[in-house]
Amino acid sequence: MTIIDILLGFTVMMGLLLIGLPVAVVMVALGVAGGMILYGPVLLGSMGPVLWGVSNESVLTAIPLFILLGELLLRSGMADRMYGALSLWLGRLPGGLLHTNIGSCALFAATSGSSVATAATVGTVALPALGERGYRPDRSLGSLAAGGTLGILIPPSVNLLVYGSLASVSVGQLFVAGVIPGLLLTALFMVFVTGESLWLRRRGLSDAARPEAEVPLEAKLRGLLHLIPAATVFAIVMGSIYLGIATPTESAALAVIVALLFVWREGRLSFAFLDTCFRQTAKTTGMILLIICAAFTLNVTLALGGITGTVSAWVAGLGLTPVALLFALMVFYLILGMFMDVLSMQVLTIPVVVPIVTAAGIDPVWFGIFVVLMSELGMITPPVGMNLYVVQGVRSDGGPFSDVVKGAIPYAVLMLAFTALLIFWPGLALWLPRSLY
Amino acid sequence: RVMGQPVATGLIQKTVEQPFFENFAEETGLDLTADYQPVDVTGIKDTEQLRILKGGLFDIVSLRLSQVSRDEPAILGLDLVGLNPDYATGKRTVEEFAPQVDARLQEKFNTKLLGVWPFGPQVLFCEPEIASLADLKGLKVRVYDQNLANFISLVGGTPVPLGFAEVQQSLARGVVDCAVTGPSSANSAGWPEVTSYMMPIAFQLAMNGYGINLDTWNKLSPEEQEKLQAAFDRLTDRIWTYSEELFVDAVSCNTGGETCETGTKYDLTLVEPSQADIDLIGTAVTDVSFPAWQETCDAVSPDCSASWMETVGMHYQF
Amino acid sequence: MDRLATWISRLFGAALLFLSGFVALETVLRKAFNTSLQGADELGGYILAFGAAAAFTVALIDRAHVRIDVLHRRFALSVQAWIDLASVLSLGLLGLFFLYVGWGVIADTIAYKSTAATPWRTPLIWPQAAWYGALALFAVAALWLSLRALMLVARGRIRQVAAEFNPKSAEEELSEELDQLHAR
Ligand code: NA
Ligand code: NA
Repeated sequence: MTIIDILLGFTVMMGLLLIGLPVAVVMVALGVAGGMILYGPVLLGSMGPVLWGVSNESVLTAIPLFILLGELLLRSGMADRMYGALSLWLGRLPGGLLHTNIGSCALFAATSGSSVATAATVGTVALPALGERGYRPDRSLGSLAAGGTLGILIPPSVNLLVYGSLASVSVGQLFVAGVIPGLLLTALFMVFVTGESLWLRRRGLSDAARPEAEVPLEAKLRGLLHLIPAATVFAIVMGSIYLGIATPTESAALAVIVALLFVWREGRLSFAFLDTCFRQTAKTTGMILLIICAAFTLNVTLALGGITGTVSAWVAGLGLTPVALLFALMVFYLILGMFMDVLSMQVLTIPVVVPIVTAAGIDPVWFGIFVVLMSELGMITPPVGMNLYVVQGVRSDGGPFSDVVKGAIPYAVLMLAFTALLIFWPGLALWLPRSLY
Repeated sequence: RVMGQPVATGLIQKTVEQPFFENFAEETGLDLTADYQPVDVTGIKDTEQLRILKGGLFDIVSLRLSQVSRDEPAILGLDLVGLNPDYATGKRTVEEFAPQVDARLQEKFNTKLLGVWPFGPQVLFCEPEIASLADLKGLKVRVYDQNLANFISLVGGTPVPLGFAEVQQSLARGVVDCAVTGPSSANSAGWPEVTSYMMPIAFQLAMNGYGINLDTWNKLSPEEQEKLQAAFDRLTDRIWTYSEELFVDAVSCNTGGETCETGTKYDLTLVEPSQADIDLIGTAVTDVSFPAWQETCDAVSPDCSASWMETVGMHYQF
Repeated sequence: MDRLATWISRLFGAALLFLSGFVALETVLRKAFNTSLQGADELGGYILAFGAAAAFTVALIDRAHVRIDVLHRRFALSVQAWIDLASVLSLGLLGLFFLYVGWGVIADTIAYKSTAATPWRTPLIWPQAAWYGALALFAVAALWLSLRALMLVARGRIRQVAAEFNPKSAEEELSEELDQLHAR
């Protein structure tokens, strides 16, 4: 296997993917074709045990459980009420409801495993209020699209689970590592909103037509009640993992039970409700697990064929410093993220890239946070940016798509800057998981 | 093509196994090279090793015997809890019972067993003070398999199955009070930082072995087969010796002894097992581990435990 | 087909809730009362194996299997239809491939009478048979849908192919989300 053969394989794969064949099929087909060329039919004999091995992996059980958890909280309407509660607290800061957008996304992100669900829910509640108060569309839409991406960085996160299983890294450590970067990125977004608002005001451009009215403290405190479910679920998940009481799968199970109690208390528990949650969970699980199964099948060929090794050696031959390597990867993921959906990007790159970066002395837990940050970026970069479409779809004023893109650009820049900060200061991600030991 | 032990298992993999396969031609005197890949790098689960070996994707596999016993329970007869309290007994067990295991592997998995070796005694680490095994009553003890779980239940402890990677944190947070593993692995995983007592009594020896696909084996001429077998005999002998040195050194490291070459120095309290403890572990064979194993093993092939009784079982009073 | 997906989802969801209860109970008992039910991990593995394989079919029916549509939606409608046909057919072939390699696993398990090395000593054939059955369902469903797509293409009903077999776009997915949001 030379680097040329591998590039050829990669090109064929990209071609098949881009004409729109299912990602999982393309991966398996390539794995089988490559394996047959390298090893002949004996390879097929090993695919079965690999397939059963992945399907029967108890760590991956956390994926459907976290998806179900997010569905329970989202579809019971708890997320909608969180927005109202937060707006009482954040509405009077410079930038007003835009903070609420980001804050709600961050809070909801902590309970939901998915960014699209986060952006859609918060967007639906937020946009009418924002339009009514005369916020500039691009600012509103941008804050929603970017805020929605926080869902995959702040745990629980299905994307971190996928990374953990593909890179053989502890999911518990990844979750713990995601907390500080997630909170800092949220804070960074809020600082940006405040700064931009102050700057607009100085130039005599108002940022909101009507500022929020002062709310009595009592009402504010009462609003906090609506934050309880999300806060409890987050505390259970992170607390049990951080204290070492539970594995990620166990923490997901505990959280599902507690969320179910909240839903029941809200009087929302019904067969129709569960039916919807189950259908969505099954659909998303099937989609994610098929891709993961395909990725593991392809990995056997990649590992046995020495492809990972060849690529690692080739990269090592370039003589990059770790920092230069990471900046090169940033560019690589930025470009890939423009055209690929996030999950496909992850499963296709992680098996090859993680050995390269660990060989360069980079911590695989840290790199998981890096990959998820780059995935967040991919969600708000056109032409394929899931969150951009979601937010555009939620708005009802019929404005152009370019508003969303324009509004999201500053956040994309902030994410890149934050990633660079993380490169020079890896402790941001690693301090908390290290403090466990 | 060779599948090796996982990278994370430590020094035996790194300093003995991997170099052997990297210098395969020199070691065996045959004109062959080995493409060596640790099992975790291949993305294949260790429980599937026998099936993979039979399929022929790999020629030689460094078998993790406890994991692959799922497909061939007879293998466990080499390392029942309490059966091998020290290296000498372990070696005797292997000499007596490995031929039976080999026969079963040849018949069912098209695999010849080239040799068996131990990671080393699996010993007890505890945070609460213990003076004897009887003190395990009421404590939560990390176990790595069902065999050991049965024994822990027998002495009144609560067995908690945990993956190796989770144990250190679980000990630190009090999720478990005690844990069982080899002293060298415990040292490199930092267990002594979160425990206070160590009892060097061998629950098991953690046996592993080398299997070769019979098709590959039969392609070799008789002289080549002889050379290969001799090379693996040398390799397993080397590992037996090294494993014992490693064990002595690691115990010394963990308990603040004079010598410590392979790990970090800690100062655990060494709890010498009493004769009662050694007898207790000895009774584990007749009382728990053999009966449980007999049931599983005979369900697969009726003469399984009989062949064990005729060999290893001779040393016990049933 | 939609009914099938609903029933699979119900089974899957109920299994997940049962698992959650069992695992949560196990965790609490272990922490609070020093006892361990054991087997939660093992049960989780089996539920995932069966559930995920069954969920492949739900994702298939809901057109949720990931496809990259950035170029696809720019092609002429007839080209799109052919690619859609190829896609659903390829999923059917993938299903057959899973059945082919999975059969090796089943056959070995039967031959070796393999049992899990766990407290339950589960004969592996039980969970593996359920897993294999779910894979078979996926293969049959995908091939059945390919047959339908082939008939539509053969009759030249290109628009209907697009409506039934195009990768679901973000817009479509969103409008479903919104419908559900407004419904509550
Ligand atoms: Na999240
Ligand atoms: Na993008």
